[in-house]
Amino acid sequence: MDTRTFRVFRFARDDGPSRFDTFEVEAAPGDTVLDALRWIKIHHDPSLAIRHSCFHASCGTCGVRVNGREALACVTRVGDQDEGRVTVEPLANFPVIADLVVDMTSFVQRFPSPHPAARISEFPTSPEVPPGIDEYQRFEDCIECGLCLSACPVAATDDTYVGPAALAYAQRILEEPRGADVGALLDWADGDNAAWRCHAAFECTEACPSNVRPAQRIMHLRRALTGGRDGGS
Amino acid sequence: MASTASAREPGIHRSRTWRATATSGVALLVLVTVHMVAHHFVVEEVGGLRTYAQVLDYIANPVMFVIECVFLVIVTAHAMLGLRSVLFDFGLSASARRRLERGLLVLGIVTVAYGLTLIGVLASRA
Amino acid sequence: MSRSEDELDVIRAAREARGPVLRRSPGPTAWFDIRKTGTGHWAFSLNRITSLGLVLYLYLHLAVLSMLLGGEGSWHGFLEIATTPVFLGLDVLLVFGLLFHGLNGLRVALVGTGIATERQKALFWSFMVLGSILLLGAALHIIGSD
Repeated sequence: MDTRTFRVFRFARDDGPSRFDTFEVEAAPGDTVLDALRWIKIHHDPSLAIRHSCFHASCGTCGVRVNGREALACVTRVGDQDEGRVTVEPLANFPVIADLVVDMTSFVQRFPSPHPAARISEFPTSPEVPPGIDEYQRFEDCIECGLCLSACPVAATDDTYVGPAALAYAQRILEEPRGADVGALLDWADGDNAAWRCHAAFECTEACPSNVRPAQRIMHLRRALTGGRDGGS
Repeated sequence: MASTASAREPGIHRSRTWRATATSGVALLVLVTVHMVAHHFVVEEVGGLRTYAQVLDYIANPVMFVIECVFLVIVTAHAMLGLRSVLFDFGLSASARRRLERGLLVLGIVTVAYGLTLIGVLASRA
Repeated sequence: MSRSEDELDVIRAAREARGPVLRRSPGPTAWFDIRKTGTGHWAFSLNRITSLGLVLYLYLHLAVLSMLLGGEGSWHGFLEIATTPVFLGLDVLLVFGLLFHGLNGLRVALVGTGIATERQKALFWSFMVLGSILLLGAALHIIGSD
């Protein structure tokens, strides 16, 4: 078992300014950052506020920044980090509630309304079923983890920008409208703080753990807005 | 239900602005190349910089005169559109954005007017 | 469905509200964060820096060209300064700004119209290699002419 130094962002509302606490953590290379954070909570500081749920990158609740890069803590291996200390911070461009827990309200508010939380996807029509499984239902790729918004340099400048997740979601609706009001959706995407605020940094796609490819979807959304194809990617 | 996206009138103002920025930028790839080559890589002087007589000689050529005028207009348009994009990222209110757009339009017109005057005066001396 | 001024006011007010604190206030410099290491972030930041530099250069250039109105003597005086090594070096910097902004801008224009969106990283690096070659050639010519 190795010992790694973890530098963790700490903040509590009534506890003065934010700071970093350093912990020596027993972590095998195959352990995840979430394992390490839970180890800190159990063995060092039970007040450390972290958020997690599924442990396998499908719920999107454990998003953090590890050594400056957005990541889901539950699938980010300690052994994959560079030598030296591991710095863990909350997602950028979100209000921080405490420590590594951010307020997701502003993230959800960016989406066009109505915003169904999950839909069974009909796309593609003939998914390849993994061996040993008779059938499975595929939901939307986006797990609304917020990593894309954290990585976005435009969102860092102006928090009225709706952000990559909301725009990617809009483009998915264009691909499979299923009765949605596409005209109103395009009006929303054409708004002052929407599709045209993207500057094609593609950091959202780099950060996305779930193959949503938000930047590409934003570009396809733009094509739809300029009267090109109807938004298919 | 079929998508109505292709039947919808595109967001004229915003997509037109983006298209203008992109189109002027692509045009500038050619125009800047011509301009830079002409003023840094043609004459044998140090740095390729033209003397007074060489500048007048250059601008007296009607083809180069037109190219430089077009270059001025397009580079100013691209600059104003780019400034608009950068400044819009500062979270301005709608009224502030409208004032900014008017201001940039005026600045662009003044810039082009001055530049064209300058080119015209130099061409008249040739 | 467009966001109204009221909605934006609510968001702006939330910045000042008690409760969850904003980790970092959004603002004019937030798009330039030296702690970020992503290529896309740097491409965006450098594109913005070069854009502002080139706008500044546009007006400096017009001011300099105005010296031509003063006749041969006035222009010659400028050339004496402009052909010094420092200024020639600034010319090379100008070429860098033009090449980066132009080629990265071309990438943005292409992917923005849906072209090469899945290969945009390769496109970016290809353009950077091309730009480096052109910059080297330009620099050798400009500085070598001294």
